[in-house]
Amino acid sequence: MGEPLDRRGPENTYSLRPAFQHKFRSSAVKECIHAILKENLANVQYNPEETPELTRSLSETIKDRLKAEGFHRYKMVVQVVIGEQRGEGVNMAARCFWDADTDNYAQDVFMNDSLFCVVAAFGCFYY
Amino acid sequence: MLFPSQRRRIKLSRFSLFNPASPLLGTTIAQQKRQELVLSHWMTFNAEEAHNIVKECIEGILGKVDYNHNKVNQWTATIVEQSLTHLVKLGKTYKYIVTCAVMQKCGAGLHTASSCFWDTTTDGTCTVRWENRTMNCIVNVFAIAVVL
Repeated sequence: MGEPLDRRGPENTYSLRPAFQHKFRSSAVKECIHAILKENLANVQYNPEETPELTRSLSETIKDRLKAEGFHRYKMVVQVVIGEQRGEGVNMAARCFWDADTDNYAQDVFMNDSLFCVVAAFGCFYY
Repeated sequence: MLFPSQRRRIKLSRFSLFNPASPLLGTTIAQQKRQELVLSHWMTFNAEEAHNIVKECIEGILGKVDYNHNKVNQWTATIVEQSLTHLVKLGKTYKYIVTCAVMQKCGAGLHTASSCFWDTTTDGTCTVRWENRTMNCIVNVFAIAVVL
């Protein structure tokens, strides 16, 4: 006989709430995002050729980082918006239909003199 | 070559096709089909449907206006609110995240990207880009299945 089977697969666990240490906490996620943005965008100038790739790689990096944080049974969505600073008006809004007890989001804004970057990360618990 | 079980199944379905009145065979297969259809309807995200919903919302709100700094906050809030309401009314077993960005047009660039960690077989996303003379609008919908 081998080891007992690990039954935590993709199937339903019937646990309705995440344990506190695995909960998607805004503050922790925000810190993560902030650190990554600071590291990647500190001296970057806006460049229309490179920014699309930068936006994409940034969202991948943040998603991978959040996966490594160990939010068990969370589905995660990371959205990154980078725009050029030219004094134009920008407004963003988000609204969610979800379980407010378990699901959460975090957002962070980074600005330097040539670009602004808004990151929103959403975590949805999948029971 | 067909296996005996397959052959039997084909025969059964053909029989039920030509004999719609057949009470036993006809109903079981039709019921199965219908059930599958109903399940797939409640448990799949239709990006095209969502796209149309969102587009209608944007057009209703931004269709006849120019960029106005004092109003844009209210506009974005209304767009996400209305889109979400309509999506929820579809009655699917999904959680939804709707984001909206409106930017004044002045020749500046805007890039968005998203990364998702989820089940690609059930969850889905849809992006709507819309613009008029004075502004650009990008709405993103993320639909996350609730496993029942």
